[in-house]
Amino acid sequence: MNEGKRPGGLTALAVINFVFSGWGLIGLLGLAAFFAFVGKIPTDEMDEAQKAQIEAFQNMGVSVFVFIFVLSIISSVLLLLSGIGYLKQKKILGRMMGNTYAVVAIVSSVISGMMFAPELGGGFNIGHLIGLIYPIITLILLNTTFRDDLTN
Amino acid sequence: MSLKRRTISHIRLISLYWSRYTVRSGSGLVYLLIALIFGLSVAHIIIMPVEQLMARQEKEIGKVDPEAIRNTIIDIGQPVTQWVLGQKSIKEIIQQSAARQRSRAKGSEDAAMSAEEQKNNADFDPWTSFLLERRPALLSAIFLVLLFGMPFVISFLAYNQVSGDIQSHGLRYLLLRTERSNIYFGRFLGTVIFSTAVMAIIVVTIVFYLGMKTRIYPALDLAGWAAHGFLALAILMVPYIAVCSLISASVDSPFLALVLAKLTIAGILLLAILGSLAWKPAKYLMYALPWGWQSNLLHPEPIHLLGATLGCLVYTAAFLMVGYYRFESRDL
Repeated sequence: MNEGKRPGGLTALAVINFVFSGWGLIGLLGLAAFFAFVGKIPTDEMDEAQKAQIEAFQNMGVSVFVFIFVLSIISSVLLLLSGIGYLKQKKILGRMMGNTYAVVAIVSSVISGMMFAPELGGGFNIGHLIGLIYPIITLILLNTTFRDDLTN
Repeated sequence: MSLKRRTISHIRLISLYWSRYTVRSGSGLVYLLIALIFGLSVAHIIIMPVEQLMARQEKEIGKVDPEAIRNTIIDIGQPVTQWVLGQKSIKEIIQQSAARQRSRAKGSEDAAMSAEEQKNNADFDPWTSFLLERRPALLSAIFLVLLFGMPFVISFLAYNQVSGDIQSHGLRYLLLRTERSNIYFGRFLGTVIFSTAVMAIIVVTIVFYLGMKTRIYPALDLAGWAAHGFLALAILMVPYIAVCSLISASVDSPFLALVLAKLTIAGILLLAILGSLAWKPAKYLMYALPWGWQSNLLHPEPIHLLGATLGCLVYTAAFLMVGYYRFESRDL
């Protein structure tokens, strides 16, 4: 398969990868800023649920934060690299990186569900399934529909 | 092989190929992603407060009381559902809510219900009662939102059934082997198959989650109502896909087809709602598409249900025939 015959779906997948990668990196900046200032947020006038959320964040250890931060960076970088790989229809940069992203995203979603306090969206809820949609679709499509398109 | 059998086998072949090809082409992939995210987000927004309520109940009394949770859902869902189904106006709902609050405020002095509230309770119509009390209310709420929202999403899948190939003149090669009608109806059927499969994934995921995680409704009730909701969603998508077929056959640019499909589906609803503010009869514009009666697909009365299903089929046939006439007579 050459670049001229790249299916539209693979191009769409690459564009979605770039968008999600950008969102991920912006989200990381927001997360870092929030974590830096979380101790200074006044909770006196907040309702119980908001207070519990802020307290759960304050009680979250630095190690957990670093773990989430690193996993998010890895996911964003893998999304970016695999997006380039899809466009160039590369086997290693596209298919392998894409599969690695999908596995990392699924594992990190499961782990963060176990590590987070319920106030921070921990445990298992339907919101986690939304986070799993894209990695699962990526995993399925790369190994079925687009398997023979990523061979360069 | 007879002509009829050959036509059927061609349509079957084209529809199956198209339903698989649609992911490769990109439109199916984008639709799959948007539909799944939309469907599960709707479920998340509706289920999350209930889960928080259950967690609070467990914290306070040590266990979850499904009966109390179900009653709370009905209390909150009743006015919203009545408004969505067009049974009551916002003004009536506000009056009803105010009357209930007044009645509750003096409830300690007078246990008897006020005449106003008695009247309001009598106004609890059979349709709302069916959706909230006789069927799993959470699932009913999710289906009502999906019935309203999915028509906006379907054009991402159905906009490019033939317009891209008309633009690239690619259909000329296909026409050496089969008829125009087979291509047109085959691709329409392929789109319907793909849309139905996506609806099935969404409904199964939501019902599985409700059954395994929240556990406030019996599994059999959930499964039965899920099957009904799935069929309602799958049938409702068919006339909207037919509208997209008509648009796709009429223009030779996929982007223009997408814009026109979006404008037609959303624009008719918007025009009807905004137009009726200035001129009441403008609301009937809604009936140009199934917007005006599509909620009847969840109606308890079989006559309404059958009417809505038949309506979907009649609209589909009308849009498909006009589209086919255009496709058959145009230069490819």
